[in-house]
Amino acid sequence: MTGDHNPFRGLRLDAIDATRRRFLTVTGAAMGLAVVGSLPGLASADGSAVELTQLPEYPFALGVASGDPLSDSVVLWTRLAPRPLEPFGGLGPRPVMVLWQVAEDPDFRRVVRSGSARARREESYSVHVDVQGLRPWREYWYRFRVGRHVSPVGRTRTAPAPGDSPQALRFAFASCQAYWEGFYTAYRDLAAHEHDVVFHLGDYLYEYGVGVGAGVRQQQLPADTLRETVTLDEYRSRYALYKLDADLQAAHASAPWIVTMDDHEVENNWADEIPEGNTPTPTRNEFLVRRANAFRAWWEHMPVRLSQQPIGPDVQLYRRFQYGDLVRFNLMDTRQYRDDQAAGDGSDSPNPGSLDPNRTITGAEQERWLLDGFAERSARWEVLAHQTAIAQLDTRAGADVIVPMDTWDGYVASRQRVLGGAAERGVRNLVSIAGDLHRSVVSELKADYADPAAPVIGTEFVGTSISSGRDGMDNDEGGLTILAENPHVKFSNFQRGYVRVEVTPERWLADYRVVDRVTVPDGTVSTRTLLAVEDGDPSIHVVGGQA
Amino acid sequence: MKRRQIAVVAGAATVLGLLTAVASTAARPDDDPVRLAATPEGGVRVVGLPCLPSSFQLGMTNAGTADLYADVELAAGGPVVLDRRLVSSWLPAWDPDHTVTARIGVTVPLDAEPGSYEVRATTDGAEVTVPVEVLPQPPKGDGANLALGEQAVASSTHANFDVCGAVDGNTDSEQWDTLTGWNDGTSGVFPDTYDVTLAAPASISRVETWTLDSTRYPAARYGLRDFDVQVRAGGAWQTVDEVRGNTAGRVTSTFAPVTADAVRIVGLASNNRDYSRLIEVEVFTS
Repeated sequence: MTGDHNPFRGLRLDAIDATRRRFLTVTGAAMGLAVVGSLPGLASADGSAVELTQLPEYPFALGVASGDPLSDSVVLWTRLAPRPLEPFGGLGPRPVMVLWQVAEDPDFRRVVRSGSARARREESYSVHVDVQGLRPWREYWYRFRVGRHVSPVGRTRTAPAPGDSPQALRFAFASCQAYWEGFYTAYRDLAAHEHDVVFHLGDYLYEYGVGVGAGVRQQQLPADTLRETVTLDEYRSRYALYKLDADLQAAHASAPWIVTMDDHEVENNWADEIPEGNTPTPTRNEFLVRRANAFRAWWEHMPVRLSQQPIGPDVQLYRRFQYGDLVRFNLMDTRQYRDDQAAGDGSDSPNPGSLDPNRTITGAEQERWLLDGFAERSARWEVLAHQTAIAQLDTRAGADVIVPMDTWDGYVASRQRVLGGAAERGVRNLVSIAGDLHRSVVSELKADYADPAAPVIGTEFVGTSISSGRDGMDNDEGGLTILAENPHVKFSNFQRGYVRVEVTPERWLADYRVVDRVTVPDGTVSTRTLLAVEDGDPSIHVVGGQA
Repeated sequence: MKRRQIAVVAGAATVLGLLTAVASTAARPDDDPVRLAATPEGGVRVVGLPCLPSSFQLGMTNAGTADLYADVELAAGGPVVLDRRLVSSWLPAWDPDHTVTARIGVTVPLDAEPGSYEVRATTDGAEVTVPVEVLPQPPKGDGANLALGEQAVASSTHANFDVCGAVDGNTDSEQWDTLTGWNDGTSGVFPDTYDVTLAAPASISRVETWTLDSTRYPAARYGLRDFDVQVRAGGAWQTVDEVRGNTAGRVTSTFAPVTADAVRIVGLASNNRDYSRLIEVEVFTS
């Protein structure tokens, strides 16, 4: 692109503004309410509701993103923040008009959709554009503009048309990115590859302060980054800090993301309305306010639709994404509806709480939604994309069985109902992808691990953390114990990284990418192992990488 | 499932809530449902010591009938420095009213002119003013704790703690939390150091080391077990006491008077081998 090339040539601001105003008038009051809450004519006396069309400073410091692709639409995201770590990102009270374009080519010669959106203080000057009318299963490029400032270009891709039979789907999944514990080198590698879609399975942000000097990052940051996030401004500012990372921005710009959340987007190991033991928000009311603040900031910073906008302390996270008849992703929420962890959380032997048939990690409604979906048998590969391990993980060497109470091991009846339900409904290939553990663990899934003769129902690919836990090693003592004590575990690794997957009608192929060091910049990323599952056979085969 | 009902009501009301907030800046400020308050009501007293922050609690209450999100902006007069300029929160319209609170840290520089100042917190249609009294520096003569509020530096500090926590004058382990103690940031890694630089060189002969010792976290399980007490004299650190196998919450180290400008606690092991935890370090001339 040449220096004087104006990427928005032909787009006249005044013309767009006139169009938009006409649009507001035509669509009427309801639209005005939904978009801003300030109807034409209700602009405040001090002019604070009058929209800005330009800004003195470059506002795209937090990059761009796209997400939740459907066959005809995708969400485009950015947040205006000239000074991201200052209150309101360094912007005054007035809303800002943001122009956007979607093109069929990275040079924007064939722009197919464009428009404007209003960035408002109430939403941290974030923009969520739900672009409609796109063609299925093809790439697009997008960008934003405010006045003379043009954003980086993002690449995105729609899903196939319903009923289509794509030959292959290439995706990646990631989780757990404590800012101060490692550089996001894994994301640089992710961005360098082409993916149809990327999943983030939680712990995008940690509520903990990043520490003086921000750990391995060695940065001098404002004092608020040292605090545990509780209020909305604190969660917003922490998202801004994380999103300043160039590798994370590159990963967002490289493909559409589908994002869920785990515990740390709110607080460690929360369960429904119950905070963790050591919390600055111990009462139910305090915690619900905090949850509402955390959810609000999550929505503002993620490329998700209005249907995922929280209503106070509630958010609709679980949803489905269909890739023709090849893959269906069931994006789950195992935090908001779960019973409190059994036996006081931590690790324990299976106990009356963890074995209680009335306890749940999904909630009854989500479980019904899952089982009803299984019965549809809409795709060859039925994927559960969610937070933490379903497989039993005995973490104690010897005869004792000691399992984590925060994973599905603490909710054995949920495991039996969901996995048993998949088997009863004839799901052809059930695959679970998850994170949370800060280690890679690949397992065969059984509804009942207490019964050695129980059939294998599906497979599970837990991906390690992007940075949480610092460098790690090939296998620590914990990893070796998991391998030794759990015959259904076929692979374990304790380095940092992410997972790439290629799915075809015949085979699921997982590529475990690991980083040699994340505590220094520019670590080396390589394939640790390649693991395959053949259609119709839920067993795991090592087909490449190191032995 | 009371909260479900609240959520449903909120769903209908959120848009209206935003409208109210916008409209109130214009013509009808009295309609703004947010009430602000500060605790303690009498305001804040603060001293210009480098490691002795003061604070107040900002309270935000939604007295209306629709949930809303509020931004409260904070500004300080004179030499007063705040640790945040903004508090934003969801404010539910619960019945009875629920007050959301946030701690606002207040400091002044060493050379701050003693006197009365104020902090102002404002949101659409509501405001609260918090008096701030800047006190003169306390005398640090015989019998006074020379470490009180002086600059602390640690080898590392756990992300949830403040390095000033062990020079804040609070020796109560029952209040162990992010504000009144210090916890190093490297689990299972020793030694850890905690240094306090005195305002001026002084002849010292006693250091009181308070490690975590509460009902829930007794020193015998969570406190520092092995540590050295060092003083800096003539630019060099020298060890004046070696404590080993400690299980008590308070350890008194007395030694021959030495003129020093800093004191260091070197944590060598804690009773549960993870972190060094200090509630307070006090330094005396005799």
